[in-house]
Amino acid sequence: MDRRRFIARVGKTGLALATLPNIIGNVSVRALAGVDAQLQQLLEATDRILVLIQLPGGNDGLNTVVPFTDPVYYASRPTISIAAKDTLKITDTLGWHPALSGFRDLYNDGSMAVVQGVTYPNPDRSHFRGTDIWLTATDADVFAGTGWVGRYLETMAPDFPTTLPANPLAIQIGTSLSLGLLGNKGPMGVSFRDPDEFYRLVNSGVSEEVPSSDQGNTPAGNEVAFMRTIARSADVYAKVVKSAADKGTNTVTYPQTDLASKLKIVSQLISGGLSTRIYLVSYTGNTFDTHADQGGVNGQHARLLQQLGDAVSMFMQDMRKQGLADKVAGMTFSEFGRRVAENGSQGTDHGTAAPLFVFGNDVRGGQMFGKDPNLTELDDRGDLLMENDFHNVYASVLLQWFATQSSTAQSVLFKDFSKSALPLFKSAPVSVRETSSAPMLVQVSPNPASTMATVSFDAQQASAVTIEVHDMQGRLLHAQAASAADGRATIDVSALPPSTYVLTLRADRAVVNSILTVTR
Amino acid sequence: MATDLSPRTQPLTYEDALHLLRRATLHPTHDGAMALVGKTPTEAARELLDRGTDPVLPAWASTPPDPNIMFSDAARRWPEMQQWWVDKLITEPSVRERMVLFWHNHFTSDYITVYYGQFSIRQNALQRTYALGDFADFSKKMVSDPAMLIFLNGNLSVKGNPNENFAREWFELFSLGVGNYTERDIVEAARAFTGWRISGLNGTYTAQLSDLGEKTIFGQTGPWTYEDVVRLTLAQPACARFLATKLLRTFVQYYPSDEAITALAAEITAKNFVIKPVLQTLLSSELFHDATVRGALIKAPADLVLGLATSLNYTTMQRDLVVSSMAKLNQELFYPPTVEGWKGHHAWITSSTFPSRQRFGENLVNGKTTDGTQIKDTSGKAITPDLVALVKKVCTAPNDPVAVVDALATYLLPVPITTEQRAVLKEILLQSRPDYEWTIDAAFAPTYLRLFLQAVVRMPEFQLM
Repeated sequence: MDRRRFIARVGKTGLALATLPNIIGNVSVRALAGVDAQLQQLLEATDRILVLIQLPGGNDGLNTVVPFTDPVYYASRPTISIAAKDTLKITDTLGWHPALSGFRDLYNDGSMAVVQGVTYPNPDRSHFRGTDIWLTATDADVFAGTGWVGRYLETMAPDFPTTLPANPLAIQIGTSLSLGLLGNKGPMGVSFRDPDEFYRLVNSGVSEEVPSSDQGNTPAGNEVAFMRTIARSADVYAKVVKSAADKGTNTVTYPQTDLASKLKIVSQLISGGLSTRIYLVSYTGNTFDTHADQGGVNGQHARLLQQLGDAVSMFMQDMRKQGLADKVAGMTFSEFGRRVAENGSQGTDHGTAAPLFVFGNDVRGGQMFGKDPNLTELDDRGDLLMENDFHNVYASVLLQWFATQSSTAQSVLFKDFSKSALPLFKSAPVSVRETSSAPMLVQVSPNPASTMATVSFDAQQASAVTIEVHDMQGRLLHAQAASAADGRATIDVSALPPSTYVLTLRADRAVVNSILTVTR
Repeated sequence: MATDLSPRTQPLTYEDALHLLRRATLHPTHDGAMALVGKTPTEAARELLDRGTDPVLPAWASTPPDPNIMFSDAARRWPEMQQWWVDKLITEPSVRERMVLFWHNHFTSDYITVYYGQFSIRQNALQRTYALGDFADFSKKMVSDPAMLIFLNGNLSVKGNPNENFAREWFELFSLGVGNYTERDIVEAARAFTGWRISGLNGTYTAQLSDLGEKTIFGQTGPWTYEDVVRLTLAQPACARFLATKLLRTFVQYYPSDEAITALAAEITAKNFVIKPVLQTLLSSELFHDATVRGALIKAPADLVLGLATSLNYTTMQRDLVVSSMAKLNQELFYPPTVEGWKGHHAWITSSTFPSRQRFGENLVNGKTTDGTQIKDTSGKAITPDLVALVKKVCTAPNDPVAVVDALATYLLPVPITTEQRAVLKEILLQSRPDYEWTIDAAFAPTYLRLFLQAVVRMPEFQLM
């Protein structure tokens, strides 16, 4: 039985970790796991995967999740509105576009959530600026050269690109690479159209290599360094990706669409055991930019939604059949929604807020996050006001799905969104901070670490503080005393092989656990 | 580094001439460079700017499209127009052709959306007409260009309920850049851009369909027409800066200094938005010829494919192969990914495209396509590059292996090789033979030269210009 699946099934009993084949015989981790839901979640989160699906061009939210009882909706859209009778009912007031039966099914079985009215303060109506804001996760007036995914992945590979993780941290299916995957030291992911083609491309060349020149910090020197990093990732990962693809399989027949074929590859790679954390797939071109002849029940937009719903639902079926669905979550995004009122060419111009969809077994599905769109209180362009800030959705993903520390999430998103993160995932961490007497593990930094890591904590009331490091088999590898008054201790991890460890902070009888990753 | 546009006065060296040809044209050839050596930068720029002839449009391009045309008949024109343009690109070393590519990536459209090849190819002809011309007139023509009217829905925009697709992109991508206009400006400009329909081969204006009412754009109120919008937009200081930035990114470096942008914007304003004199200044300037900008740009697929093909004297290469080679590297002519065009620079290089670029180069040196088939010329005859003849041309001491390494490296790479690179390249050229066994006429020379050039085109430095 798959490890993740096993945890999910028996997790609630508190026995999960103790009875895992590779942790049998361990006393300390079993004891910890029995009382610490957060540790359990942290352990599970180490192999979790997020699939991002980009809908470029600006998806028309109002024709995706239709407010079919709102007369303003019909008055604003004389030629392109979806009649109430045609929608697939979600609530008494909202219905799916009829092409989205795939989403309807996922929502009804509790594995898809709808986040209503997602945008950000002072939304930009430019495709390109808007896309950049979503990908960099900045405020509307801040420009950044790195993506939120890239910054998150950077925290998992502090020695990148000197040391490359065994598996690519992120994969984009296609030949371009999104700004979202860029970190401060270059692209944190690889992109390819097809694993076999990628392998052939990298490995069919002649072998003689000329060393790179060191042009120093000149424009040319910087570009050479940029290309070396990418070339090295390609060299290393083409084999890794191919061997995962060869091992992996698909158990369903995917539709013959561009999006479905991309998700099919993602599924195959997950099935093949690739530990890549984030996949990005996108429609090609600004497909959702429906300024003219958008259509209603049928037509341009309906076709795009049909492709989306069918591809995602097939992907989830595939993951479920293979017992992999518990470790996969997905999220759609688009740079903006479209104007409430249609224009004179049976289409819609650029707008603001629109629903976003999160799916997976761990998602608190079958519910709406946020109120129905309010079509009477609009901004001065006739666009919807913000109901949810996308930053709060990203914070949910980081804090709940990936179980990152809030300080890490804050550095990734440039601000602290931990208080406003939406409860999108079932396995939201149980915070030990809720008990005032419990010690608080503030931060482990850097994490991952390669030589030294600093543990910061708040345990003012405690008389004795101990820090322990256990491996995943539960063996105690390291223990040291720490001073409650100092609130910090440095631990030497240089003797630990690269892996994931449980870091335990004991303050008198209270215990807090965290995950420590060692990379080199 | 130099940021000023004052003319450089030193006569061009061979390296200077290659730099100019790589940036200003798509033809960094030895003969082209030799013809410029010793000339002043001003003279050389003038010579390249004065070149350029109009290709003859195919006959079908002058017949109005049949709205009921079958898909297969419409689609047949797309590869034809790609090859029609590539034929020009690969045979004419002019600034003008470089600027056609620039404008193709500025006032964009794609053949799937435009659909009718007549409109796509005629948009290219318009871009060629104004390649070095008056940006104000050019912009006005673009408003009513049929391909543009289709691409950004101008032909569907109606008085009373305009479609704002073109108006938004006009400000954001064609003239000012994001942040330099308001939503109100977009609404009002969209009204002024109404009134256009396509008739036959042309965009036609009907006053009755156009919103001639009062509009307020950039705070100025009047019954503005599309021509007024262009005039008011070009008067915004951001417009010259926007164009200056794009030109600097194309010709000088991707991250230009603010001083350079300010200086070139002032030049654009001083020359009333006429491009040719602006480029005359830029291409002969200290800024352009500064040593630090050598190798600062990442080649677009057009630069890589056309540049290597022309460098190796492959200009007779089958046109469809040129088109597909570029397309495989994410630059399919007449098919940019979005209205923003190809983003350029770092966006060209990914874990897929970088090895693809290496494979393209290695194969071309070997006379093969990426699929391993023999490259043919336009008449269908197999061709392979004559590397021995190339060395005899570019190297004054072709029997000296070190001289051969240096000459080919200088010819193909924008930055000097290091001592270590020279040593490795020499090893590759000699394949472990002692120096004294090398002569250019040795039986092994063609094979070794091929291995050597394949190593050169694999280098990251080769992807720079």
